[in-house]
Amino acid sequence: MVDAIVAILQRPNFLAFVIIFLWGFYIMVTRYNLVKKLIGMYLVQTSVIFFLVSISAKEGATVPILISTTEPVQVANYANPLPHVLTLTAIVVGVATTGVGLALCAAIYRKYGSLDEQAILEKLE
Amino acid sequence: MSHQLPVILFLLPLFAAISMPLVCLKHRHWSFPVSVTILAAMVLVSVLNLYNVIQHGEVRYVFSGWAVPLGIEWIADGLASVILVFVSALGLLGVAFTRSTAPKELGGRIVHYYTLILLLISAMTGIVFARDFFNLFVFLEVAAIASYALIGVAGGRALFAAFRYLVLGTLGASLYLLGVSYLYAVTGTLNMSDMVERLPLLMSSKALVGGLLFMFIGLGIKMALVPFHAWMPEAYTYAPDSISPILASLTTKLALLAWVRITYWVFNSSMIIFNIPILLLVEVLGALAAVIGASLALAQRDIKMIFAYGGISHIGIILIGVGQGNQTGFAGGVFYLLNDAVMQAALFFLAAAASCHYGIKTIEDIGRVGKQAPWLTGSLIVIAMGMIGLPPTGGFFGKWYIILGALDAGNYLSVAAVILSTLLTLAYFVKLFESIFRHASTPSGVQFAEFPHSFKLTLGITSAAILILGLFSAPFVQFILNYALPPGF
Repeated sequence: MVDAIVAILQRPNFLAFVIIFLWGFYIMVTRYNLVKKLIGMYLVQTSVIFFLVSISAKEGATVPILISTTEPVQVANYANPLPHVLTLTAIVVGVATTGVGLALCAAIYRKYGSLDEQAILEKLE
Repeated sequence: MSHQLPVILFLLPLFAAISMPLVCLKHRHWSFPVSVTILAAMVLVSVLNLYNVIQHGEVRYVFSGWAVPLGIEWIADGLASVILVFVSALGLLGVAFTRSTAPKELGGRIVHYYTLILLLISAMTGIVFARDFFNLFVFLEVAAIASYALIGVAGGRALFAAFRYLVLGTLGASLYLLGVSYLYAVTGTLNMSDMVERLPLLMSSKALVGGLLFMFIGLGIKMALVPFHAWMPEAYTYAPDSISPILASLTTKLALLAWVRITYWVFNSSMIIFNIPILLLVEVLGALAAVIGASLALAQRDIKMIFAYGGISHIGIILIGVGQGNQTGFAGGVFYLLNDAVMQAALFFLAAAASCHYGIKTIEDIGRVGKQAPWLTGSLIVIAMGMIGLPPTGGFFGKWYIILGALDAGNYLSVAAVILSTLLTLAYFVKLFESIFRHASTPSGVQFAEFPHSFKLTLGITSAAILILGLFSAPFVQFILNYALPPGF
């Protein structure tokens, strides 16, 4: 038990990921306001991106451009570019989703005059 | 040239989608013929591609010449090619159907509507071909974003349904991405065939198990598997009449296909999650989905709702088939997937035609109109035979092979689930037909205009396809056994 707690505390970035993910999920589930739900959704997306960045972080590494072409490549000196590209793409996907979500929220507000899920459900009945 | 066919298949709808707003903004009536032409060309190319794959084996396409572990790879194998023929044909049929059913209030924005449909179909092509976990994620998301927007077009309740779909779908995508990053952290690669080589040494890794589980939950939300199905019936019921056939027949099935790819092609179907073999998990969840989906369908009054819940139960039946871990079950599952794509399209074409032409929304409405609508009732009988699984439709042979596979594997629970779900399907169609034929003696005084030819054509083609898939089921299943099985299966 103590070992597990120590192991978790030694990896604060993973702990932060879990907290942000569950926080976002909690907001998505418990809040009735649609924009708040979107905020929760965005937190979930961001936490996954944060996880992807934190597993690929490398201490003391630099941009992945070869400094010298004659010496053998020291892998430990360069950051891995792939996770960063993935992160960028995931951010773009997240922005697109949030954009569509906000557009839907705006349309719902124009139609029902409210962003509260319960108020809208009452009008739907 | 022939090895470029997969990427041509993807680029045709993508380029059409991008150039649509440029070309058609001044001449908005062009957008329909342009989309139909592009999709007809896509059907042609997909058939060529299937022929090429059968003749010369699978096609590996590597983007911009970067060799495999670095670059992004697409593989057109037998399974992908045959599913793509169905995707493009159903896409063509669906778009041809929009001519008479597209939302009238869109006006000039009809151009963007067709843009979104083409984007959706090109993303679906990507889902079918992609052999890179992240590539798959991007295409799943492009298809999902296009569907959110297309569902929202109907306005009113559809907006709310689309919003729910968006929130849940994004949660699913995030979980899938989380699973991908777990797998990447363990293996250091995203390419599926590269990962296959690295996995044997890492099979005991707990992170691998966690990643696979997150992926399964994420794709489970996308394929409307039972505990995660809440978004699906509302989204497909309130979506515009013209778009629900394409969405209902393809999106959930392609998420399922992605899952089949991951379990069979990458993990070799032998993965064990906390002492539970992954195939057992798939099979039990499939059995639950098959029974619960059909029971929920029985409780509905809105016909689109009935059909959507029927779709949920059929996802379960496909999962039972692919979860058996033997060739017969797998071939039955894939064959049922193809059948179900056609049947769902046919059901939603029927619901759309009924609601556009006769104003039918619920079971009571269909009872009032039934006798005056021979095309509707006739095709409903054929589709119902397929959904229930009566010979000579494709649905019967799909279920037949799935049950044979389950008997081979000794999974009597799965056999019971398939039969129970069949009985429940029979029950909800009996409810529909009872409403049609009991009230037939008291026709309402309303006279309806002639049933439009486009509706007759779509209903006729899909009903005929259901029968043809049944009559020629033996060569289809033989094709799947010969060309579409996972490696080393």
